[in-house]
Amino acid sequence: MSAADVAAPVRPGRAGRPAPVPPRRPAGRWKAAAGWAAVLAVTALTLAPGIGVEVDLGAMARNWRNGADKIVALLQPDWSFFPRTVEPLLETLQMAVIATAVAGVVALPLSLWAARTTNPHRALRGTVRAVLNVVRAVPDLLYASVLVAMVGVGALPGILALVLFDVGIVVKLVSEQLEAADTGALEAARAAGGTQLQVNRSVAVPDMMPGFWNQLLYVLELNVRASSVLGLVGAGGMGLLIDAVRSFYRYDQLSLIILEILVVVLVLEAVSSAARRRLT
Amino acid sequence: MSVGLRAASGGAAAADSAAAALPAPWPVRMRDVVVRYPNGVTALDGVSLDLEPGEMVAVVGLSGSGKSSMIRTLNGLVPVTSGTVEVGGHDVTAARGRALRALRGEVGMIFQSFNLAGRASVLQNVLVGRVAHAPTWRTLLGAHTAQDRAVAYEALDRVGMLDRAWHRAAHLSGGQQQRVAIARALAQQPRAVLADEPVASLDPPTAHGVMSDLRRVNRELGITVVVNLHLLDLAREYGTRLIGLRAGQVVYDGAAADASDRVFEDIYGRSIRPDDVLGS
Repeated sequence: MSAADVAAPVRPGRAGRPAPVPPRRPAGRWKAAAGWAAVLAVTALTLAPGIGVEVDLGAMARNWRNGADKIVALLQPDWSFFPRTVEPLLETLQMAVIATAVAGVVALPLSLWAARTTNPHRALRGTVRAVLNVVRAVPDLLYASVLVAMVGVGALPGILALVLFDVGIVVKLVSEQLEAADTGALEAARAAGGTQLQVNRSVAVPDMMPGFWNQLLYVLELNVRASSVLGLVGAGGMGLLIDAVRSFYRYDQLSLIILEILVVVLVLEAVSSAARRRLT
Repeated sequence: MSVGLRAASGGAAAADSAAAALPAPWPVRMRDVVVRYPNGVTALDGVSLDLEPGEMVAVVGLSGSGKSSMIRTLNGLVPVTSGTVEVGGHDVTAARGRALRALRGEVGMIFQSFNLAGRASVLQNVLVGRVAHAPTWRTLLGAHTAQDRAVAYEALDRVGMLDRAWHRAAHLSGGQQQRVAIARALAQQPRAVLADEPVASLDPPTAHGVMSDLRRVNRELGITVVVNLHLLDLAREYGTRLIGLRAGQVVYDGAAADASDRVFEDIYGRSIRPDDVLGS
């Protein structure tokens, strides 16, 4: 019995006609197998002793006790430490908010310049994009260390580092959103005789704003997390305190700090997701 | 440039005492216009036309016949490969930068997909029609003059959408959005209005409503209207003159009312089908 004989009764309307046969599957199934082989090869290579990342399972088994008492300390937060954390925590929040606001002001025009639909000028667009790629490639901790050396220990280098970090992210995401958006309204404004600036301001900006606020809320969250790390290199906020208690092996105090950051991040997340729902 | 355009029309408007308060409508002159896209497709193949001021011209043809390209050469959205396009005596093909924008400011355009900024208010969208008449700094700050607002309100009132001025454009129905788009074109106080398949996305009753609005623009304001259509009954009912395009060439030019089904079969290059008519 052939396949056609089986298929025919299933589609009564097509009785008498041969069962439909799809075109031959394109060749190239070996590509998937080759992909898996490549993944396996790379994994094996990175784990190989001498040339790989040197994962030593034996060392993990021997030393786990060293970490265990730290974990026990982390599970017993020192609540009496709370008053000393309030000021750095507020500083972290201030840094995050100020950096987000400044980044927003800088990123708005840059986003419009970085998107093909709102900036037909190829050279200018390419320059903006190239600079921002470099800005994004540098880790925020490196910005912070360099800026601490330039402007001194405190919140200012932290804020500057966060601004650079945020502008890179926001411009990337918002300009991609602009390029994905429908260009009809832009064409209409151009047809009405607007300059590119007028077209962007009167049509592109209103349509991009919800997405833009969305990204700013996102980097605000990122800033709270990041600014606690930046303090490790002297760039203000919670990180300075983290560095201090860690060097005295006060894991119970560190535990309280982590809890506080967690609470702040959770609250921020709740607030920003509520705000996002109203942004549609 | 803008001053020059106004001065040139001043004399014409004075001569026509009935339309003394309104800007004089513009004629359109196309000579041997060829449009060839970079991908090698010839959209217009030697089109020569003279459209009189105050005419309501229906351009019909199948999709791909060059209607859309033709209407876009009239305001320079599509550059011509060879030939000349003159609108109101101004050479569109030679105009660049400021001169082209001033010219576009005098020519309103309406699109199939309405092309409104969805997140902006109806009023903001209509004020886009004023960009060519406003300095860039006013547009950037959103500081529209009282006169520009008055023009926008009047345009909205003319299409019966004044009560929606503060609604978001995206919250309106398709027919309402197209009315707002017409108001945006009217806010330009245009000498000619170009409409590219203005009712192709609308249901039949709404389509007739929008076409009636366009007819009122033509009759009450005396503005030259060029409208692309693919439905023969709409072309016959609303056009005073009918131009048929096939494969980028003018294959019919005559009174719209006289165009029989034979004429349409000739333009389409096939027999009339039920979906070539909108019905009512």
